[in-house]
Amino acid sequence: MIRQALYPEEMLHSDGKTARLAPRLVGRGLHVGYGKAMVLRNVDFEAAPGEMTVLVGANGCGKSTLLKTLARVLHPQAGEVRLDGQPIHGMSTREVARRLALLPQGPVAPEGLTVRELVAQGRFPHQSLLRQWSRDDAAAVERAMAATDVSAFADRAVDSLSGGQRQRCWIAMVLAQDSDHLLLDEPTTFLDLKVQVDLMALLARVARQEGRTVVLVLHEINVAAAFADRIVMMRAGQVVAAGAPREVITPASLRKVFDLEADVIPAPRTGRPVCIPCADGMDKVSLP
Amino acid sequence: MKPAHLQAVAGAPVVLGLLVLTFGWHVSVGVKAVPLATVADALLDFDPEVFDHVVIRDLRLPRAVFAAVVGASLSVAGALMQGVTRNPLAEPGLLGLMAGASFAVVAAGALMGGGSSALLPLIAALGALGGAGLVWGIAMAAPSGATSLSLVLAGAAVTAFLYAAVTLLHLLDEQTFQNLRVWLNGTLAGRSPEVFWWCLPWFAGGLALAFLLARQVTALAMGEEAAIGLGVNVARIKLLALFAVVALTAASVALVGPMGFVGLVIPHAVRLLVGSDYRLIVPYSAGLGAVYLLAIDVVARMVLAPVEVATGLVTALVGGPVFVWLVRVRL
Amino acid sequence: MTRSVMVELVGGRLSLALLVWPLAVLVLLACALLLTGAFSLLTGSYGLSAPDVLAVLRGTLPEAVAGTVVWEFRFPRLLVAMLAGALLALSGAILQGVTRNPLADPSLVGVSQGASLAVVSLIILAPQADGALRPFAAFAGALAVAALIQAMSGARTTGATMRFVLTGIGMAAFISAVTSTLLTYGRIDGALSALGWLAGSVHAAGWNEVRALGLVGAMIVPAATWAARPLGALRMGPEVAVGLGLAVSPARVGLITLSVAAAAAAVAAVGPLGFVGLVAPHIARRVAHSGPGLHLALSAATGALMVTLADLIGRAAFVPLQIPAGLVTALMGAPLFVALMLRAQSRQNL
Repeated sequence: MIRQALYPEEMLHSDGKTARLAPRLVGRGLHVGYGKAMVLRNVDFEAAPGEMTVLVGANGCGKSTLLKTLARVLHPQAGEVRLDGQPIHGMSTREVARRLALLPQGPVAPEGLTVRELVAQGRFPHQSLLRQWSRDDAAAVERAMAATDVSAFADRAVDSLSGGQRQRCWIAMVLAQDSDHLLLDEPTTFLDLKVQVDLMALLARVARQEGRTVVLVLHEINVAAAFADRIVMMRAGQVVAAGAPREVITPASLRKVFDLEADVIPAPRTGRPVCIPCADGMDKVSLP
Repeated sequence: MKPAHLQAVAGAPVVLGLLVLTFGWHVSVGVKAVPLATVADALLDFDPEVFDHVVIRDLRLPRAVFAAVVGASLSVAGALMQGVTRNPLAEPGLLGLMAGASFAVVAAGALMGGGSSALLPLIAALGALGGAGLVWGIAMAAPSGATSLSLVLAGAAVTAFLYAAVTLLHLLDEQTFQNLRVWLNGTLAGRSPEVFWWCLPWFAGGLALAFLLARQVTALAMGEEAAIGLGVNVARIKLLALFAVVALTAASVALVGPMGFVGLVIPHAVRLLVGSDYRLIVPYSAGLGAVYLLAIDVVARMVLAPVEVATGLVTALVGGPVFVWLVRVRL
Repeated sequence: MTRSVMVELVGGRLSLALLVWPLAVLVLLACALLLTGAFSLLTGSYGLSAPDVLAVLRGTLPEAVAGTVVWEFRFPRLLVAMLAGALLALSGAILQGVTRNPLADPSLVGVSQGASLAVVSLIILAPQADGALRPFAAFAGALAVAALIQAMSGARTTGATMRFVLTGIGMAAFISAVTSTLLTYGRIDGALSALGWLAGSVHAAGWNEVRALGLVGAMIVPAATWAARPLGALRMGPEVAVGLGLAVSPARVGLITLSVAAAAAAVAAVGPLGFVGLVAPHIARRVAHSGPGLHLALSAATGALMVTLADLIGRAAFVPLQIPAGLVTALMGAPLFVALMLRAQSRQNL
């Protein structure tokens, strides 16, 4: 089949219905707000190892807020997040960091910081006042840089790189943290489509080959559909649909979540859903 | 008639009335309070035999005039700078003009031993131009170009440098710290009328130029491209505005020393009252600037009486918080 | 590529990587500092030869005047210049890291002015108060202003960096005006004593200042050793720092307090020396690229060198006149600040 020539087998396993592992990161009944306004209302969420879970929704629907709450940056007013069965907001932040890494949206490296230094910063939770830098740290950094293909410019300044290269460096930093859970907030925004696809393939590989839990917020529904194992659709602070891309990406759900009229067709090579927006009157415009 | 013009006509008597009132108040207040009636007498029906009349004519009247003229000039200079650069934080003191003028005056004093008062405004103008050029040049060379932040930072650096140089010159000159401190803070006390007469053409020229430019500055404040579209010769207007600002600042510094934040506070207050048309902003800034500095000077003389606080300190005490507020609101 | 040497002690429980080049630079800076210090001891209105000074330091020169000149004037002055410079630079380096603002500086953002105001208030309003209270007053004033500026610039919103700096400039103008007003109001002798201090001079420094600064320095060295790690995480931004497992709020409060304490101690001893805290960390970064810990040490050494040099220049340039070191640092620092502005990354800074 053509699709196997393009994508390695393990990247498609969500469609192959292999047995799911039990989720280790779970949120129950989350209510989160800034001040008086509630951004999340009674949200349940879970993410399982070996899977890439993608949060999608319109701007302001609360997907970034959910990610930050899962990463214990924000505290819920009600409900709780459990990591391996323990309430995450009660754990020491360093203990969490060893198991869960977070890449916020649009991070900015300090001026002149080299790629290697940036990636090395990912070893922070494994270090201490006495144990400043060890052979384990050096090995983890090299591994992370190799996996993200940034070793070639390890000694260049991060701020001198292109957007795609820079984002790969940040992902390398998160990988160097050696945690089983990776949470990323819009890691592909403002990048070229080709760069987006490469980054998504890298993250999918991390999830499926290394058995880590990967959760990301994405803007682009088609990129999400092409790579995600599970999609969580949100609207106005609530989860509207969650499941495999084929199950949840439908004209009805797109209408409900994005207010978008769209056709959904299977991609010719992978069979994954592709959404094609249509606007009023578009069907009357004939092709040249 | 357009509503803007109506407003202008309606507001003018109010501002004039305020000006007359503060002027009278300023003259009547002092070590010895003089009743307003006597003030009016001294001005309209001067009698050299009456001690109060002499005090008012020779001491208090000049000071009030200086305050009014400097307040008007600095406010108009600030308004022009804000309009032309489209930068809410533009002001002669913040963007290096005052430091440049101060440095030039002190340096000339050190090199030529005082020199004549006739040259004072010219020297101050050259210094102000140099300071402004330096700040602009630095800000333009910054990666982001001349933004509010880069301008203010360049202004802070140039000002710090020039004031350090001024202090150094004074130390080398072995003049007293005391003298330097009072003048560098900006003061209206004991200024000589001779300097004022030499500065007067600069004040008059600068203000006249500002009034003539008001219409084009309104267009420029909407953005350079919009102004070009409206048929404004942008380069020429900018150059003329620079002349006006330099003349007004230089004359003010030559007369009373650096008086910070006047040009920041008044134009913003005026804009709240009359909107964004510089044909209104410029005259109202002049009027309210005069009122403002007169009132500030009264406060400076009264608050710690019998000791007098340098007027420039009081303008900074008011202006600093206004600046912080502007940063909060406008940026 | 930066070469490094891995050090493992106590069976791997204490391990760290030492960067070769930054360490070499640190040694070079220490040498330059010693050299400048030696020159400083030799320079002054009372002519002393190198062997004389050496003899005094060894305690073998019987001449009383020479001993007084070296022991009571030049030596404490040199030590105070070094310590104050190191503390200011350390303060600036920490402040720049925490606020992620390359232009943060204790004097530019009002911390020095807050300390000045507190000290001048003490000198003028309570002239009989013990001079030993000055550092505490300076610290309280500096901390209050730092907190005020943080609160007013609204740390949460975008563009916070820019607002922080601009708010600091506005506050600085306001507080300077209050200080000057106090000087006008104050009794002349108090005002004169305060004025000398305000010009930023190590001129009058004696062993009391050395002891105070030394004590603060001794407390700050372990604190700075602790500071390096959280600083490294915080400079990546607060959210990344949380993700890396740093307790951000306590770390930030601790670091800012440390920075303010260092600046306040220096300001209390020698007055506001402008631009040292701003420029020294940048010079240190240009000469040697290193991690946050070594960078703090390099910054401190650079700051010490700057102020020692400034004091030396101030004494030697216009003999017999003495130029306060604060003037020299402003004259040197302002152009360097401009150079920094021009080199700053437009994307993040300006």
